[in-house]
Amino acid sequence: MSTAAFKFGPGDFEPVATERRTQTLSRPSVSYWQDAWRRLKENRRALISLWIVIALAFFTLAGPLLWRVDPAAQDLDQVSLPPGLPRVALIVEPYVPWAGITATPVPGTPETLAAATPDGLRLVEPATTQAVRLAWDPVPGASGYQLYRNIFDPEPDGAVGLPVAEILDPAQVSFEDRLDLEPTRYWYSVFARDEFGAEAGDYATVTVDLTRVVSAAEAETLGWIDAAGAVALGDEIVLPYYPLGTDYLGRDMLSRLMYGARVSLFIGVVAPLLFVVVGIVYGSAAGFIGGRVDQLLMRFADFVVALPFLLFMILFKIAFGIGPGESGIFPMLVALVLLAWPATARLVRGQVLQIREEGYIGASQLLGAKTTYLVLRHMIPNTMGVILVTLTFAVPTVIFTEAFLSFIGMGVAPPTPSWGSMSNEGLRTMLTHPHELIFPAIFISVTVLAFNLLGDGLRDALDVRMRGRE
Amino acid sequence: MSVGEVPGGRTARRHDEPALLAVDDLHVEFDTYGGVVKAVRGVSFSVRPGKTLAIVGESGCGKSVTVQSIMGLIPMPPGRITRGTAMLDGIDVIRQKVVDGEDIRGSRIGMIFQDPMSSMNPTMTVGDQIAETLEVHRGYTRKQAYSRAVELLGMTHIPEPADRAKQYPFAFSGGMLQRAIIAMAIACEPDILIADEPTTALDVTIQAQILDLLDELQATTGMAIVLITHNLGVVARLADDVAVMYAGQIVEKGSAEELFHECAHPYTLGLRAAMPGNDPTREQGLQAIEGTPPDMFDPPRGCAYFARCPHAMRLCEENRPERFEVAPHHYSSCWLQHPAAPLEVSGLYRGAAA
Amino acid sequence: MFRYTVKRLIQGVITVWFIATATFIAMHSVPGDPLSGERLANEEIRANLEARYGLDRPLFAQYLIYMGNMARGDFGISFTQQNRRVNDIIREHFPVSATLGILAVVFAALGGILWGALTALFRNRLPDVVIMFLVILGISVPSFVVAALSQLGLTSLNALLGVSILPVAGWGTLLHMIVPSMVLGLGTMAFLTRLMRSSMLEIVNADFVRTAKSKGLPPTRIFLKHQLRNAILPVITVLGPAIAAITTGGFVVELVFAIPGLGRYFVQAVQQLDYTVIMGTTVFYGAFLVFMVILVDLLYGLIDPRVRLE
Repeated sequence: MSTAAFKFGPGDFEPVATERRTQTLSRPSVSYWQDAWRRLKENRRALISLWIVIALAFFTLAGPLLWRVDPAAQDLDQVSLPPGLPRVALIVEPYVPWAGITATPVPGTPETLAAATPDGLRLVEPATTQAVRLAWDPVPGASGYQLYRNIFDPEPDGAVGLPVAEILDPAQVSFEDRLDLEPTRYWYSVFARDEFGAEAGDYATVTVDLTRVVSAAEAETLGWIDAAGAVALGDEIVLPYYPLGTDYLGRDMLSRLMYGARVSLFIGVVAPLLFVVVGIVYGSAAGFIGGRVDQLLMRFADFVVALPFLLFMILFKIAFGIGPGESGIFPMLVALVLLAWPATARLVRGQVLQIREEGYIGASQLLGAKTTYLVLRHMIPNTMGVILVTLTFAVPTVIFTEAFLSFIGMGVAPPTPSWGSMSNEGLRTMLTHPHELIFPAIFISVTVLAFNLLGDGLRDALDVRMRGRE
Repeated sequence: MSVGEVPGGRTARRHDEPALLAVDDLHVEFDTYGGVVKAVRGVSFSVRPGKTLAIVGESGCGKSVTVQSIMGLIPMPPGRITRGTAMLDGIDVIRQKVVDGEDIRGSRIGMIFQDPMSSMNPTMTVGDQIAETLEVHRGYTRKQAYSRAVELLGMTHIPEPADRAKQYPFAFSGGMLQRAIIAMAIACEPDILIADEPTTALDVTIQAQILDLLDELQATTGMAIVLITHNLGVVARLADDVAVMYAGQIVEKGSAEELFHECAHPYTLGLRAAMPGNDPTREQGLQAIEGTPPDMFDPPRGCAYFARCPHAMRLCEENRPERFEVAPHHYSSCWLQHPAAPLEVSGLYRGAAA
Repeated sequence: MFRYTVKRLIQGVITVWFIATATFIAMHSVPGDPLSGERLANEEIRANLEARYGLDRPLFAQYLIYMGNMARGDFGISFTQQNRRVNDIIREHFPVSATLGILAVVFAALGGILWGALTALFRNRLPDVVIMFLVILGISVPSFVVAALSQLGLTSLNALLGVSILPVAGWGTLLHMIVPSMVLGLGTMAFLTRLMRSSMLEIVNADFVRTAKSKGLPPTRIFLKHQLRNAILPVITVLGPAIAAITTGGFVVELVFAIPGLGRYFVQAVQQLDYTVIMGTTVFYGAFLVFMVILVDLLYGLIDPRVRLE
């Protein structure tokens, strides 16, 4: 206290008028929607999801305009093609049959044969998808040869792969392979056969890289070029390009995914919109009218909720029937609306009953507000948040339902693509061509994920109780 | 305990008595999206054995945070105790909750809360919840603990305690539940009972019953009570000592009589003027304290009460008031108590220093 | 509690009646005569069915016959398989589906509670982030993809180790049940984990947990008796709908893993338009779900004392 006496002069103790009786808050004041938007923007996951949803909308709406490939067109020469870069083919002469190479058989004993390995296994001419021509030196004592082809290196397990030829003539020491040749790497193995036709001794293997070739006439037939005369021998032509590969019928995956998105997202967005609207009308009617009518309406809603959802989706689907040439999208929408409205109706009714009791409604009424004003100014803005969140969460549920029904063959009718029906078709070739299942599955998962995270973000952002927390 | 009973004796005795619980320079902060809230800014007080200390202040002044941080009940994060100690028998309970394998909470310090309805586990019977404390701290068997729980319910004047013990909290009324919670808090005969606004959520008639019960229990068990309240009526009824808090700091501290009759801080003065009473000599009606407490995101540099103080002086805005001992053990943090302060304020006690 | 039980059971019976009626209406609005077409194997079955269901009589009379049969628990005879009663089909195949479903529900509920509680305890730390990422994945990937991929994984695993640790498909032993029931329960488990997590986070800051702390209870006791016990309640309320989701989700798993359950049979019946089997199975499943929901609600009453008095 003594130090303070030195520090302050008498002037310091003069009374002052404090005009700022109410302190200003250092926090900025924000409105409900501003605050919700701020919190949504802070939620990184929700923001990324929002961008994914926008990207999906672009993919669906603008995609087919930019990537003009008919999703129903079949390219039977490129069936179950994995995704990759554009493919080219070399223009060559049309196929000319090959006589093969013969050599005089060399005699030998069973003992030497049992220890023998075919020598000199070689390519006679460059390997193409037209033909692979191999030759080797005769093995002493061989009664014939056995050939195998594999897409993997047979070493070290001795897995020689698919048997492609049995040569019974010991003079024949060449082989021409024309069986389903793909422009890839093959391993050909050859065994000598003993007099009983069994494989004798060890095998020899040659690695062969094939080039994709086509004759000008073939290319024209396939529609790869306009006219056979337009190309010369040795020209490279670019094949129809499928960036994400093709399905088991040779249809373009990318294009099908885009058109499938139209079906899946159309159902996924339109069905929730429809049943949420039905639910709002039904629920607010029950909430506003109240009394007996409310009881009756809500009891009916309870019954509809008790119907096993997916079973009745199937039943309605059968009941509506799908005529030839119809996609079955409309019956699915109707069935979804018929079964899914009660959840929203219950929610809206609860909100209406709750808000009706709020103090600000009473205050507004005291100030002479009319019903239309109350509904427009108080009811709708205060239920908007909840309804928006319900809508966002309904989208993934419906997309799942569509996928599930299409998977068990009760969804949209082929050939209309949807992500669900594409997954169903992809499942059959899952082991050999996994991309046919994985692409639609990824699209379903990413869409559902984005809508779920967006819904989470919206719910957190719109929840008034979350204000000031975190 | 009524006001003005033995004014001199109480003050004299206080010099000899060691504090049961001594809180020194407590600072608590909270991280929020808007910044750091400095909720408690250097609070010191002591609790005398068998006596009642009331901590008084407006909502949000930091009184609940003070006791909850002593009890380790503030969520961390976002909460943070940055400085300060609370010594109980030579142990800093802020840093050490378990002594000799036993938690001091529940055994040496009991606590009751504002809203009895939400303060009990809805899925356990009331009897089990009381017995639980005894099982944990006293090592009672389930049966022993339960029969003691029934006795405790009887002690807090709950009718038919044996039947009530079997019931779940939702079957109790607010007042009854607060009694049960008191029974739970005193089950292990603690030295200190912290009551955080114990009557705020209750009807006025029930409030009086609960206060009587606390008074009665203090007389029989000899425990000290720390009473958090914003109700000066409750303070007048129960408190021996009072600490007045404003914006995270204690602005005035002293005995109840001193605070009511010789109050030495304009804020206490304002609180008193805002309190309803039946004093016929009072000329004016209730007077509200104009304005709102400062924003704790950015507490003022000088006196926190400056903006609302009718007697503010030039130095108050920038200089934090020192603590002046206006009478033995009666402190006020206000520049008006400075010897150089020229003002004579009506109703304000000017201490020895002035 | 007794009155509540009786009330719920009466409500349940009315709901089953509603389901049966809705099924009848749906199946009778199918375009064309269900008995026409080449599907019907022979004239004998046709004559039998016509007599039995009064198919030549007015719709309302048919409805009465149908409801009478249902009330006696008679679901009729299969349209496509001569002299095979729908009741026998259900009796034969339902236990398989039920076993699969029960295992899946147990797996989902235990997993959901455990993971949910764990994530809440480690909020915003590594275990929480990892588990919640998996949960989001579990919710977003369709069950048939999970089923297909797990089958693919199992095949490769068996091939890699050279021994068959777990069978890839089929039914019979406990080993057959492990993977399908896990796949079936996965989506629900993810959903329950999320629910449990938010419920736990709400409870962590509840007033009564603060009270428990102020009593100086050990953390494990606070966790088990005060937090977990209250946090489980919302999980139990959604167990009814979760059972429904798992039961119908079973169709896909039964198809992919070649399990001879009622779901697979139902999908077959739908593809062959075997009307009596479709109707019988739908009503049976509906009734089963209605009473499962009632059972869960009654169970909830036992755990939450607040419901008991109402």
